[in-house]
Amino acid sequence: MASAAASIRERQTVALKRMLNFNVPHVKNSTGEPVWKVLIYDRFGQDIISPLLSVKELRDMGITLHLLLHSDRDPIPDVPAVYFVMPTEENIDRMCQDLRNQLYESYYLNFISAISRSKLEDIANAALAASAVTQVAKVFDQYLNFITLEDDMFVLCNQNKELVSYRAINRPDITDTEMETVMDTIVDSLFCFFVTLGAVPIIRCSRGTAAEMVAVKLDKKLRENLRDARNSLFTGDTLGAGQFSFQRPLLVLVDRNIDLATPLHHTWTYQALVHDVLDFHLNRVNLEESSGVETSPAGARPKRKNKKSYDLTPVDKFWQKHKGSPFPEVAESVQQELESYRAQEDEVKRLKSIMGLEGEDEGAISMLSDNTAKLTSAVSSLPELLEKKRLIDLHTNVATAVLEHIKTRKLDVYFEYEEKIMSKTTLDKSLLDIISDPDAGTPEDKMRLFLIYYISTQQAPSEADLEQYKKALTDAGCNLNPLQYIKQWKAFTKMASAPANYGNTTTKPMGLLSRVMNTGSQFVMEGVKNLVLKQQNLPVTRILDNLMEMKSNPETDDYRYFDPKMLRGNDSSVPRNKNPFQEAIVFVVGGGNYIEYQNLVDYIKGKQGKHILYGCSELFNATQFIKQLSQLGQK
Amino acid sequence: MAVDITLLFRASVKTVKTRNKALGVAVGGGVDGSRDELFRRSPRPKGDFSSRAREVISHIGKLRDFLLEHRKDYINAYSHIVSDYGRMTDTERDQIDQDAQIFMRTCSEAIQQLRTEAHKEIHSQQVKEHRTAVLDFIEDYLKRVCKLYSEQRAIRVKRVVDKKRLSKLEPEPKTKTRESTSEKVSQNPSKDSEEKPTTEEYPEKISAEAQPELGTWGEGKGEDELSPEEIQMFEQENQRLIGEMNSLFDEVRQIEGKVVEISRLQEIFTEKVLQQEAEIDSIHQLVVGATENIKEGNEDIREAIKNNAGFRVWILFFLVMCSFSLLFLDWYDS
Repeated sequence: MASAAASIRERQTVALKRMLNFNVPHVKNSTGEPVWKVLIYDRFGQDIISPLLSVKELRDMGITLHLLLHSDRDPIPDVPAVYFVMPTEENIDRMCQDLRNQLYESYYLNFISAISRSKLEDIANAALAASAVTQVAKVFDQYLNFITLEDDMFVLCNQNKELVSYRAINRPDITDTEMETVMDTIVDSLFCFFVTLGAVPIIRCSRGTAAEMVAVKLDKKLRENLRDARNSLFTGDTLGAGQFSFQRPLLVLVDRNIDLATPLHHTWTYQALVHDVLDFHLNRVNLEESSGVETSPAGARPKRKNKKSYDLTPVDKFWQKHKGSPFPEVAESVQQELESYRAQEDEVKRLKSIMGLEGEDEGAISMLSDNTAKLTSAVSSLPELLEKKRLIDLHTNVATAVLEHIKTRKLDVYFEYEEKIMSKTTLDKSLLDIISDPDAGTPEDKMRLFLIYYISTQQAPSEADLEQYKKALTDAGCNLNPLQYIKQWKAFTKMASAPANYGNTTTKPMGLLSRVMNTGSQFVMEGVKNLVLKQQNLPVTRILDNLMEMKSNPETDDYRYFDPKMLRGNDSSVPRNKNPFQEAIVFVVGGGNYIEYQNLVDYIKGKQGKHILYGCSELFNATQFIKQLSQLGQK
Repeated sequence: MAVDITLLFRASVKTVKTRNKALGVAVGGGVDGSRDELFRRSPRPKGDFSSRAREVISHIGKLRDFLLEHRKDYINAYSHIVSDYGRMTDTERDQIDQDAQIFMRTCSEAIQQLRTEAHKEIHSQQVKEHRTAVLDFIEDYLKRVCKLYSEQRAIRVKRVVDKKRLSKLEPEPKTKTRESTSEKVSQNPSKDSEEKPTTEEYPEKISAEAQPELGTWGEGKGEDELSPEEIQMFEQENQRLIGEMNSLFDEVRQIEGKVVEISRLQEIFTEKVLQQEAEIDSIHQLVVGATENIKEGNEDIREAIKNNAGFRVWILFFLVMCSFSLLFLDWYDS
């Protein structure tokens, strides 16, 4: 029986499919009559559906048209419409307008998170005015207010990222009411997440941070819902496996502020690199390919850039296998895949010549039978081959684009250097040298490097040194605002605890004469070091490890403990449960990224039978994070 | 996980109704409203398109039920050991096949008709898209039901081929093959046309075989007149003919098997070729358009060159005139 924390993606997909099937569990029937419907969603709904269901899958479920709520829609008679929207004022207004205009035959309203009573009455009012009450067939609260990106990774929202960003939470001028709204949004989404998961977690969080506020509110909300026996969402047949597992999952709420270096870190694994370097959003990567410049004698024609976007989905086996591998490995594997594909293609081509020969030979009837069977199998395997080719092309393009960036910005040098800084081994090149080196990386890269250095040194560099660095940075063209903020942050956290240490790690550069070069591969990685990652534990992973295995550690001992199922609402610092947890959910308030996710995945791979889900309030890469830091530093 | 708040909604509708009544707000609701609703429902044009689409779907549904109903009989009746209660004769099976084919043809024609009509009156892009998608669904449904039918037929053909193969394993090929050939003669009319030429052979062979038999019987009466050598000769001839027949049977059986496979492959290929046809048509259109554009472009370039040259000539002329006039003025002045 699958454990409760396994594949949040499946659960959400099943819930969505059920909703699309008019909230009746979906059964695959090969000779069923077609039923058609129209899907209307708002931007939130779009973000939730797009990583999970492709347009083809929507078609299979009978959706003929899918439209945005706030677009111009024409009346289509005799068609049921399924709405999937957030219960905000403008959405409700637009829905009432639809009811008045009699756009569709029947309406199935599904709200992403719970709708309030007053808004429901607004809709009822509009339905009455339009005499359309019988047309509103069903109204549901779906509790799906989160976006699942991977089998075990989720993000809270994409549309109103500004509201719950790191900057919004850590602004010095934030008012209490604004903080309340932010916390409420986060708690609402987390609540929906646990409803979909079907389990009530045990919550642990650090003291004195935004995470604590979230924990308190979430605990309260879960508790209220459990007490309300009539409407409780956590009992009943819809729970499934979650009801029978005796183990409850552990929810670890951490704040971004315990580890600011990881989001700035340069990375070396495939998925994290794609997110860092290219435009990667909701599992879709947008590449700009510039076609060659043709200068005609009459005048230069401008470069035409073709934009291409690719979806990186769970169906893509290569992606699933190599998301977390270091980049050189990825390059090699793409080569291997390409070679095996070419071999298969040759097989099929060879058949053609065999057929041509044998067809004229009268006495070879028995051979013919063999060949028809071969031909049938070849024809049926053609679609597979085509699909494989498409994936290989996709990954070749993506990997080439990433490699371009690596070469121009010398990201491997930065990666190696930062690893050394973070593990406090001796540095062979001085920081100042790298910063003043004009062709190593963009100003942003240098800023990142310096910030990591600043964050992870034990004692602050002296004033003179600092001035020198600042001068070098401004010469290279960096904006110094993030530094302001980091200084403040460092002063603040010094009071709380010692800065996090990142464990020891080494990077072994493998020589340039690696296999990659020798096979004459397309990915000519000359000048790029073939670095090998060694296992290291980021602070978040370490905290999780301590809490899951009930290890005693000064860092995590005074974390607060909440159990919404306990009758009395007191929180003791002493956990009642002495056994190690089998499932855990790590949630970072203030933003997370793929490096932490990959680290957690690697950590849990070594443990049998344990599952981890990773979530964050928003997903940013280093560029976006630097922007937020500089905005904070400006104040 | 998802909470059904439809009841809550209905309750709020009631609350709003009573509230409006209390406030004396004149709304379309109330007792009249329900009647209005009913009135508004019936004369609302049901939409030609969707009612016809639903008709087609119900037709296809009927076909599917018909096929499923008789499916068991169609397939099971092959074992001769089964009592003749549930048995279907071959004529009945042929009838089913024919009916099903006619039905499918009419359904696909209806779908084509709907397709052409669907785009006529409506101007809205969304409605067009919706209707195309609906028609795609219906076609898909038809294809699925047709698959049922073709599966049944494939099983039937396969069984016949297998039966022939089994009959080969009998120890007395002579008598058994004759029985099976007589059966085959009756069943052959229902097979594919590729086998027609082979069936013609059978009656000949049978008659050819019957002849020597008759000959031997006929001559058996006057056996005293036949020498033992002649009997032996005739027996040998019999054996030879039987051997020939057997080898022919082998070959024909194999060919049948291959033909079935080839027909399957043909299906796949025709599908692909049809798909490509549409694409090639569009490419053709594009290419024609492109050549036209290039032709026009060439014309324009020629014009431009002409204009350029003409322009230059005029400039030269103007400059020469100016210099001449200057010379003239200079000469005039001095």
